[in-house]
Formats: sequence, structure tokens, C-alpha cells
Amino acid sequence: MTSFQAELGADEGIAEELAKGQREISIAEFFEKNKHMLGFDSGARGLVTAVKEAVDNALDATEEAGFRPDIYVEIAEVGDYYRLIIEDNGPGITKEQLPKVFGKLLYGSRFHAREQSRGQQGIGISAAVLYSQLTSGKPAKITSRTQEAEQAEYFELIIDTDTNEPEIRASESTTWDRTHGTRIELEMEANMRARQQLHDYIKHTAVVNPHARIELREPGLDEPLKFERGTDQLPAETSEIRPHPHGVELGTLLKMLAATESYSISGFLQEEFTRVGKKTASKVLDAFRDRHYGREVSWPTPSLDVDIEAAVTEAVSNKGADATASFASEVESVLASRERTARFELREIVDNVAESVAADTGRTFGSTVREKAVDAAWGELTAFEPDAEDGRDHLTPAIYTLVDEATSTRKDDATVQALAERIARRLGNREGAAFRLTHTELEGLVDDAADATVEYDDVTVGDTARENIIEALWKVSRTVPDDPPKVREIADSRDTASELLEAMRETNILAPPTDCLSPITAELVEAGLKKEYDADFYAAATRDADVHGGDPFIVEAGIAYGGELTSEGKVDLLRFANRVPLVYQQGACAITDVVKGIGWRNYRLDQPGGSGIPNGPAVIMVHVASTNVPFTSESKDALANIPAIEDEIELAIREAARELKSYLNKQRSLQKRQQKQDVLSRILPEMADKVAEVTGRERPNIEGAMGRIMNNLCIDREVDDGTVTLSVENYSDRSETPEITEIVSVEPQDLNGDATVVDLDGEWYVQWSPAVSAGEESEISYSVDGEADFEITVDGIEDEKLTLNA
Amino acid sequence: MSTQTNEERAREQLIDLAAEFYDQFAGGQIPEMTLPTRTKSNIEYDKDSGVWVYGDRTSSRSANSVRGARKLLKAVYTIEFLAQQLDEDRSSTLRELYYLSESWDNTEAHFSDQDESNQLIEDLEIVSGVTREDFHMRPEESGATLMGPLQIREQTRRGEREIHCQEDVGEGGYQIPNNPDTIEFLDNDIDFVLCVETGGMRDRLIENGFDEQYNCLVVHLKGQPARATRRIIKRLHDELDLPVTVFCDGDPWSYRIYGSVAYGSIKSAHLSEYLATPEAEYIGIQPQDIVDYDLPTDPLADSDINALESELTDPRYQTDYWEEQIELQLDIGKKAEQQALAARGLDFVTETYLPERLDSMDVI
Repeated sequence: MTSFQAELGADEGIAEELAKGQREISIAEFFEKNKHMLGFDSGARGLVTAVKEAVDNALDATEEAGFRPDIYVEIAEVGDYYRLIIEDNGPGITKEQLPKVFGKLLYGSRFHAREQSRGQQGIGISAAVLYSQLTSGKPAKITSRTQEAEQAEYFELIIDTDTNEPEIRASESTTWDRTHGTRIELEMEANMRARQQLHDYIKHTAVVNPHARIELREPGLDEPLKFERGTDQLPAETSEIRPHPHGVELGTLLKMLAATESYSISGFLQEEFTRVGKKTASKVLDAFRDRHYGREVSWPTPSLDVDIEAAVTEAVSNKGADATASFASEVESVLASRERTARFELREIVDNVAESVAADTGRTFGSTVREKAVDAAWGELTAFEPDAEDGRDHLTPAIYTLVDEATSTRKDDATVQALAERIARRLGNREGAAFRLTHTELEGLVDDAADATVEYDDVTVGDTARENIIEALWKVSRTVPDDPPKVREIADSRDTASELLEAMRETNILAPPTDCLSPITAELVEAGLKKEYDADFYAAATRDADVHGGDPFIVEAGIAYGGELTSEGKVDLLRFANRVPLVYQQGACAITDVVKGIGWRNYRLDQPGGSGIPNGPAVIMVHVASTNVPFTSESKDALANIPAIEDEIELAIREAARELKSYLNKQRSLQKRQQKQDVLSRILPEMADKVAEVTGRERPNIEGAMGRIMNNLCIDREVDDGTVTLSVENYSDRSETPEITEIVSVEPQDLNGDATVVDLDGEWYVQWSPAVSAGEESEISYSVDGEADFEITVDGIEDEKLTLNA
Repeated sequence: MSTQTNEERAREQLIDLAAEFYDQFAGGQIPEMTLPTRTKSNIEYDKDSGVWVYGDRTSSRSANSVRGARKLLKAVYTIEFLAQQLDEDRSSTLRELYYLSESWDNTEAHFSDQDESNQLIEDLEIVSGVTREDFHMRPEESGATLMGPLQIREQTRRGEREIHCQEDVGEGGYQIPNNPDTIEFLDNDIDFVLCVETGGMRDRLIENGFDEQYNCLVVHLKGQPARATRRIIKRLHDELDLPVTVFCDGDPWSYRIYGSVAYGSIKSAHLSEYLATPEAEYIGIQPQDIVDYDLPTDPLADSDINALESELTDPRYQTDYWEEQIELQLDIGKKAEQQALAARGLDFVTETYLPERLDSMDVI
């Protein structure tokens, strides 16, 4: 039987054969085949995405240059194709940069910056160029004029998909009526089936960019759709920040380590990361040392079977009896006064004592002698001779105390003793006398000891008990003072770098600064909604910044309710990320999930089944601003479900919804009040008529009773022989200050009371705003000559609460 | 006190009430009508008259709320109607009032059910201090009857009639008119009044000739007695000085029938002095009788137990006698009807039970 291997071998060079078919794929080629990843999956969607990318770029460019954006979008039919024109009043692009910006994928200023911006990867606009070139075969036509330039530059360019390099087809200087800005013209195979999404995108962009003016022309519109500015205030400028220690990954860290000019880790941390100062750096370093070197277990000084002085005396030779004695006794007394001592601490003690004895006696204790003394004292302190007859064991009692404290009282003494013995044995048998272990090593050791105890002594040592023992031992272990490795060494060792990364993540570090973010602000969210939605009520909330994975983010929410908004069906949900409307994939978005999960009935919105998107005449908008918005895909349509961000979204929405609730509650109570007033103002006059009829008297005036019933403010006028008396009676339970303006056709004389009269072309305005406390009455009077007309208006109080009888 | 002045007084009181609303309107006040609270917790024993009357707690019908305003509107419409009725010396039934409201031009003033119109009439009685009979409002005939040696003169709309309630009537007896104050007692040969709850027992007594044998006036209560029935019992006791006894089933509902004869009802406690006969005595069936005569019984239903317990907290039944009987009944958990006595033979009630009980009560 012929083996397959042999056959392969026979046809030598199959790998070479295969290698012929293997070659580099250019990024442009890759995206040519994966258009959907960038939002160009269909003609309809491609058009929207192209507009979106161009407008996002235009807004970024103008804002960055400090101009108020003025953006023009035009879509026109050209034979079988659509022509798309986007113009902005940005700073323009220099002749050198322009081809790359539009004609090279993954070229941009944003990718490496930790700063909030609409575009991030530098793919968008060049992908649109690529899409247009693939579907229509036409080059992109770009005009740009920088502020200083006399003339605009005009280019026609295509992307060479093999090399991902721009290829300029034509280039000339031209005139342009804009003094600065950029214009791009693309022709592409497309259709207008996504007209609604296109309009939504433009409208929603106008909502979150109230400082921008946007104009849209497209074949389906009789007149251009114009969105005027709602404010002249540009968004706050953002500044770039260094990465946050919690937000980097191992690869990035290695790259940073290799690139840094710092020599020490501490310097590296302080230099390259945000929110790391000297203190934080040293915390990170401690955590790093624990991982890299491990900690040294410290031991108590035993009280029995120990003679440090003798051991040290014996270890020291040729230093004279006095000096030796005082050295040995000093070491012992220092140790005796300490609760616990680790090996490196003992070293420091011996060094100190040696210095002071040398100063007293003139005898120098060299490093060899000191080393011997440390070994001798340590040997006493941690004597462990389990195999020798009558051997000493200072480890087990020390461990026993720890284990006993760490485990529940129900563990019987024998078990604790057995555990302590096994741990002590394992520690004692370790190489080197310093008892130096990392947390992981300690875990292994304790687990091993516990497993053995379970196996041989037939008892249980649960996970909690083990954890407690490990933590107790870790607590009495001391971070060693060894110098951390230098940046170079770490950069060369993936394992060490990973230890550093873990240390960085474990250390508590202040959240990153937020000046890299530019929230719209609650005020402008409201202004934006007011500008585009004719509603009765608006509310907005901006949360404080929070952090996810080292990237700060801010969530804002706004709600508009009532007015012209349609009350049929579900509310409109507007989603935004870094001021860009998200038009597609609403169902896959974290924002949608959060909105669905909120119990809207609580906020007085109709929500069938108690979950899902609520119904009613409302618009809910949510804006997430971050240096790195986590999208579910490159087409940037939906936010990924990140719990930290979802929580903030929920809090922001609830904050705005609470305002909605109190508004709706008030509406409802005013409505009820109105209904009550309607019914009563039907019933009571009839009742009054009837009692008048039965008693045979005149119909009584019931306004006072009405006002009292409705807790209203009653304003009455009495005219008696040329004297006009206006009275305000407050039947409510709080004080009211109505603003009363009355227009009189003749000049009021002898004005009595706290009012003013203004003459306006033969009409007299009597202005009066009395503060009337609950249950009180206030009055003014004036006289008029002959016939007079009065026209009264009252502000500063809801109509429902006013009984006007004047 | 002639009927003429009664009517005038009633009319005046009604108009005064309307005038009160008028003044409240004119004074910028919210019109309201204050009434004693009509619940069991707000009735108290009046030592002077020996009956139960309303206590001090009041509730008000105020135009402050839509409901209250509607009530007052209806009250004013009703006042107008009653005043007119009195003017024309006509009368109508409570049910007629309910239907009549449908003819009022104002739909807000229409009564939603008869309970509402009945309650409103009671409200007006209380506030004006005039009985509904004086408003010329009468209930449907309750059909309660008298049978016994009593000679009366009734003032009917068709003239005076003299009637002997044993000799001039058929087996059904004399039917008590809606306003028993139109009756004048002429002559009688009565030793005591026996009020009977059920028609079956009343017929048994008549058939056995109990009224003739013991000179007793048998009053058929027909369940919970109407006002007219209670009023005539009160008059028989007060004017003819006759002992009154009540003979009912042995269950909590029957004790309430006795209660309304003797103590007055919660709903019409404002008229207790006029309707209640505190001296009326309860014959049975007592829970004690169920035990003593070993009567056939039914077990107490949950609603019976609730009713008994509610009676224990009712101030009207807080006497040693009633507490003892009710607790006994709760203990044995049984109830018996009057007719249960037939288990000992048809004559047992007239020949043994009643004579024994009446004897022990010192009535005969």
C-alpha cells in the first residue's frame, strides 16, 4: 500500500506549490469583500452610510477648527446612479493630506487619540469612496480650500485596491464660493428605499448638534430640508488623555514598554499613564513585587526553646567579648520586642544593630559576619527540626495560631493541629530560608496541605476555610524591598509584563479625567429636542463620568412628551454615540435593552405587559459619549452590552423620566381638577337656580363657593358708580402671586392699592401682582369717568386654578 | 295637632332647608348638609325615652366633591318636588319618587337607584325633623296585618271607616295603613299584643283560635317590620297600655326584627322615639328553647355566626339576657324556625309553648 506521506514526499514542493497562491491581502481588498462590516450591505443602506460618514467627518473637522458647522448634503439622480454631495465649512485639508484622507483606508488622526470624536478608525469616508468607485467606476471628486488659500484645490481620485494607496486621476486649482471647507462628490449605485433612515439620521444629528446648521436636498423633497442652529455655543473642546492603567491590554503594554524612554517602572507608569503619580506608582510597584518576587512570611519570636543571643554569639568570632555580647543581646532584645519578623526585616535589624555597636565599641561588623548573624538568629527564630529527636519546631505553633483564628470554631483541635503541621512542614521544606512565596505559590501550598489533611485524617477542609487560611498567611507576609526589574527587562519578558499588568489592574486608581469628553449637556439636549420636536414637556439629564475598561464615558438622556408628537404606537427612541445618531440595528443595541427593561408604567407611560418599548406621544433620546464607544460591529450601529454603561444609561433615563413622571402627575391632577370644575360648574349653578326658585329669591352669586371648592384664586370686579374694585381671594392652601394686567379704555384715577398704571397710546395698562397668602384677600380700586372697557389677563397661575369673574 | 298644620310645618321646614343652601351660596360658603352618622357605632341609649338614638358623630354632604354636589342637587330637586306635593295635598310612594326623578329636566339630578332616593328622604327627615309621612311620602304597602278584639276608626281618603279587627275582617285580618296615625282606637278587649314574624305561624295561631282564646291581638310583622307596623305597635302600647310580645324564628336575623320593634333600627334611629317600643318582650324562639324543647334545627351558617358576633358588639344587644342567649347559640351552633315547634304536633305551639312562655313572662 502506498502511503500518502510517500506520495507527498514524491511530489516535492507541494508547500511551495501552495505558497504560490498565498499572498498579502490589502486592506482595501479585504473591505471590498466585506462591505457589510462597514454598513454598505445594500444600495439603500450604502447611501445612508456614505452620508453618515461624510457628515460625521464634516462635523468633526469644523468643530475641531472652532467653526460653527454649516453642512450641505445633496443627493441627486444621475442616470442609473445617485450622486452624493457633502459640503462643510471646515478648515479644509492640505493638498498633501487630502488624497490620503479620502483615498486610503485606516488613515486618520483619531485612532491613536484617547479623546471623544465621531470618527475613530479612519475607515468611514474612504470606505464610501471605495464603495462609490466599486459600484459606479467613477472617481471621487473632492474640492477643498484651506483658510489661507487663495484658491480651492480640486482632485479626482480612486483607491488602488491592491496597494491601499490613493491614485489621483485629475488635480487642479479652482475657484469656490466657500472661503474654507471641503466638498466631496461621490457617484454610486444606490436607491432611496432608506429615505426614512436618511431623514432620521439628519434630523437626529440636528438634535444632538444644536450648534450645527444642516441642509438636505434629495429627489423626494420638494423643498430642501433645513435644520437651523439652536445655539451658537460650540461643544466644549476636548483634550487628549494618556491611557488609563485599567484600560490597557498586554500587547499594548509591551509596545509601550518597548517605546518608552523611561528607565524605571515607576517613571514609566507616571510618564505614560493618566492618573498615576508617585504614590499610585509605588502602590502598583508593591503589587508588582508581590507577584514578581513573592512575599516573605514573617514569624513571631518564640518564647521557649530559643536562645538568639547564644546563637548570634556563637556565629560571631573575633570581635571581642564585649562587642560580641552587646551585639548579640541587642539583636535578641530587638527581636523579642517585635510581634513578627520577616527574613529581610531581620537583615535590616542586624544591619542597624551592627552600625550602632560599631559606633559604641569601634568594632566593625563586616558583611560576612552580619550574614552569619542573620542566619544564626533566623535559625533560632524559625527552628524546624521535625526529624531530629526532641527537635525544635517553632513553625507549627505560629501556623497553628493563624489557622485557628482563620477557621470556624467548629473545626476540632486535631484538625487544626494537623493542618498547621502540614503547612509548617511544607514551608520548612522549601528551598531557601526566607519563606518567600507568591500568592499563587501560597495557594498551592495551602491547598496541598489541606488536601493531604482531608485524605489522611478523614475530615473536611472547605473552600472558605482554605481561602481564610491563605489570606491569613498572606496578611502576615511582607512585601519585599527588592528593586523591581527595569523597564528593559520587563519589555523583554512577556510573563513579567503580565505580572505588571495584573498589578496595575489590581491597584485602585482614580477614574480617568473627563476633559477628553464633550457631553452635549442637559441644557443643550433639551434645546436640541425643543428645536426638532414640538412637544409640551422636555426633560434631560447628564450623568457624571464613569469608566469602563480605562475609557471614561458619560451618558445623557432626554425625553420629550406630548404636543405634536404622535400618541399612536410606540415612543421614538433616539440613540446616539459620540453625537452620531445610530440609525440601524435598534434591536441589537444596549440602549434599547435598557429602555425595554425599565418599568415605564411607574413613570406614567403606557407599557403593555409591563416591559418593552413604551407607548405614547414621547421621544426618548440617549447619548453615550466615550473615548472608545464599544460598538457591536464596525458599522457602528449598536452599542454592545457593557454592564457599567448599561447601568449609567438606566440611571440617566430614570433621572429624566422622574421629571416626566412629576409633570404627568401634575397634568393628571390638573386634568382631574378641570373635570371636577367642569362637572361642578354645571351642577352648582343649577342647584343655585333651584334653591332660588324654591325660596323665591334672586339667584345667588356662587363664585365664592366655586372658588372655595376648587381651592382657586378668585378675581372679582365690582363697578359701582364709576369706582372699580378688583379683588383677589385666595382659597388655595398656599400663597399665590398672580400677575394681573388690565387694559382700561379710559384713564384710571385715584388708584388705590399696590398697582401701577402705564399709558400706552390711549389705553391704560393697570399692572398689579399682589402676593396673597392662603385664605387671604387683596384689593385695589380706582375710579373711571363714564363708560369704560376693561380687558383683564392673569399670568403666574394655572388656568385651572383661576376663577376669573372680571 | 291637625294634619293641616303638620303639612304646613313640613313644607316650611323644607323651604328653610333650601334657604340654608341659598345663604351658604350667597355667603361664599360651600353648601353642605350635616347629618348624624348612621352606623352601629354612633347610636346610643337615651335614658329619658328608653330608646336608641343617634350619637354625636356627624357626617356631611358637601358640594366640595362631585359626588356631594350631585347629592345636594338631588336634595334640592326633591325638596322642590315635596313642597309642591304638599301644596297640592297629594302623596306618592318612595318608588314613585325614584321614577319621578327621571322626568326632571336635569339629568344630573336623576337618582341612580331606589336606595339613593330612599336614603335622601331619610336624610331630609333627619335634617328637617319632619317624618316622611308628613312629606306625604309612603313606602309600598308592606301588607302587615292585625287580628284581634280591637275596634278602630280609620280616616281614609274616601271617608271614615269603623272596623272591628276580628269581626269585620276576613281570615287575612286588618291591613295596617301606611300612615297609622290616621287610625283612632275606639274600643278593645285585648290582654296583650303578640307580634309574629312569619305568615305561616300567624295563620297557625288564627286557625287554632289563639286570638279568641287568649284575647290577644296578633300582629303579623312580615319579616323586618315596616315603619307603619312599628308605629302602630308603639301606639297600642302607649295609648292602650298593652303589653307587647314578639315571637320570631330562633336565628340572628329574627333578633334584629325584635331589636327594631323594641329598640329602633339604626337607619331610623332619628325616629326611635316615635317608632320603638322599649317595653316589648321577646318570647322566642330563644336558643334556650332549642335546648329545652329539643327542637329540630339547622346548623349555623358562617353568615349567621358573623351576624351573631356583630350583635354582640351592637350596643342595643348588650344586656345580660341577649349576651347569654347569643353566646349559648354560638355554643350549640344551631338555629330553629318557629315552625320547628310543629315537630311536637300542630297544637303544641298554642297549647303548650306559648302559654308556658307567656306565663313565665308574667303576661298571662
